[in-house]
Amino acid sequence: MSSKSVLGLFQEPEPAADAMDALAAVGFERGTFDVLTGTPYPEGAFGEHVPQHRLFRFPAFGAIIGFMVALLFTAATQIAYPVVSGGKPILSLFAMLIIMYELTMLSAVIATVVGIIFESRLPNLKPGAYDPRITEGWIGVVISCDDERVRDAELALKSSGALEIKHA
Amino acid sequence: MATDRHSHTEVSHEHPSAPSAGEVVEDLVAATGAGVTFRRVAYILGFLAVLGVVGVIGKAVTVGGDTTKWGYVAAVMAFLLTAGGGAPMVAIAPALAKANWVRPASRIAAMFSLIGIVTSLLLIPLLVLLPSLVVEETRRRSVWFEAPVYSPHVWGMMALVGLTVTGLALFYASALPDFAAMRDHSTGWRQRWGEKLSRGWRGTDVQWRSLRMRIGMFGTLYFLLLVFTHFLISTDFAMSMVPGWRDAIFPMYHSVSSLQAGIASVTLALWVARRYGGLERYLHLDQFWALGKLLFAFSLLWFYFFFSAFIVFWYGRANADIAFLDLLIRGPMVYGFATAFVLCFFAPWWLLIWNRLRVSVNGPAAVAVVVLFGLLVDRVRLYVPSWSVPGDRIHDSYLTDIPATIWPDAFDILTIIGAVSAAVLLMLLASRAVPAVSIWEVQQMNLLSRPVQFLRTHGVLVAKPD
Repeated sequence: MSSKSVLGLFQEPEPAADAMDALAAVGFERGTFDVLTGTPYPEGAFGEHVPQHRLFRFPAFGAIIGFMVALLFTAATQIAYPVVSGGKPILSLFAMLIIMYELTMLSAVIATVVGIIFESRLPNLKPGAYDPRITEGWIGVVISCDDERVRDAELALKSSGALEIKHA
Repeated sequence: MATDRHSHTEVSHEHPSAPSAGEVVEDLVAATGAGVTFRRVAYILGFLAVLGVVGVIGKAVTVGGDTTKWGYVAAVMAFLLTAGGGAPMVAIAPALAKANWVRPASRIAAMFSLIGIVTSLLLIPLLVLLPSLVVEETRRRSVWFEAPVYSPHVWGMMALVGLTVTGLALFYASALPDFAAMRDHSTGWRQRWGEKLSRGWRGTDVQWRSLRMRIGMFGTLYFLLLVFTHFLISTDFAMSMVPGWRDAIFPMYHSVSSLQAGIASVTLALWVARRYGGLERYLHLDQFWALGKLLFAFSLLWFYFFFSAFIVFWYGRANADIAFLDLLIRGPMVYGFATAFVLCFFAPWWLLIWNRLRVSVNGPAAVAVVVLFGLLVDRVRLYVPSWSVPGDRIHDSYLTDIPATIWPDAFDILTIIGAVSAAVLLMLLASRAVPAVSIWEVQQMNLLSRPVQFLRTHGVLVAKPD
């Protein structure tokens, strides 16, 4: 059974929010339909499903790895080549702090970039139905469903005031 | 009250009606088109940038490894870090504080991260010339204590590259929706680039939420790296070059003046975009007024940080303290210091204190020019004397012979003009690929704010969702 992407286009946000409710009312699971906008609306404005993101874990994980690597790197090199100057400790803590801070930050940045690639679902290889008017302020409600349920989706979108229906 | 020059009615202003979402896209995508004047300016800047390369090469050929002659190159590198590095913070800090006025200004502010490319390139010859921490078995005073002798070279470059990459990531991440708008509404190479760079952006809820997260995260990381990079560059490329210069406040002074320069840079860039980029409809008094207030505050902070450091040397009166004053305040750079003092603090203070000037479009922009020139002179007065200390005196306890004033030669002037031109050129070219005013942020501003009549004055009703 093949899956289709159905897009309903709206000019105003209110009917788009109604369409989200209508799709839920006819039995589509929240998470199978989404709203497309050219500007970020406040979270939950359309009653959309809000999935839990895990983006914050990436910089935290990267920072911990970077800190550990830096600690190992700076401590190991100084222990491997000990230089005693003025009776001070072998490990020069304040110079180590600079390197540890820098590697912690750099690892956090790299991990954040990697995290964004995962969490943004980019690049989007199967983008589904889309219309360029969305970047002009129109609002799209898009749903992925089986062929046999396309008719239900179209009816829900039209009954909510969709000005146009597109398929992909 | 009607005759009161500073009545509330006069100070407040009626906000222009917001254009529709379709008009926003049409206007801002159209503004990316390059006219004849733009091409001419780009060619001139390109030519000047090439002259800058000639300046650096000429310097290398004529003075070679004589570090005392490279102070102006160090100064322009520090100036670009100051002006270009601080500017993205204008996109970050007010946005984190949910300021509505910053939305049309944030793209231009983020674009300044491109200047990091020029700064990083300028750092390369300076890394070659920067003395090792240990020369003739003597280690100079630095933040590196017992670290390997080329630590400033390695970690200074990594910090600057890290800052640049984070800034570019912030710029790209926040521009993704506008690349999609370019894909959907522009033509030719801009459309092809938009298609590639938007990476399938459709504007789903997950994508918008992720966009907010990544702007917040890159913004935080950028700030943490900015302060750190200023700490390393100011200590390794200025303070540790002068024997006896010990100043815990100097790196912070460097960072705070970078934020001041960043605000000035963004104000000036907004003025240029408004005046010559056809963006009057999107860049209003609000942006200039708000930036003018910030510029005023940071001009006062310039003095606070300068004076906090200065007073220790003034009352310390040890030999090293007197040498510091002789080298950087009242010695070879006395006129440089006086100019920087007036342009970075005194002039902005007395200009921006006037409501009529601060609450205008041209006033803050004019003061921004003054501040930027002042900070260029400030970097010259800090870095040129620092690099003028002969290599064989760098490890002394303090400076006994104060070097004479070093004036810029032809290659120094070419380098300064070329580096600044290359930085401006990069910004201009970026404004052809993606709108200089963010489409999605303007649309969001229009979505969340409404101009309203409030009793007998005007105001803006702003929604600030969690």
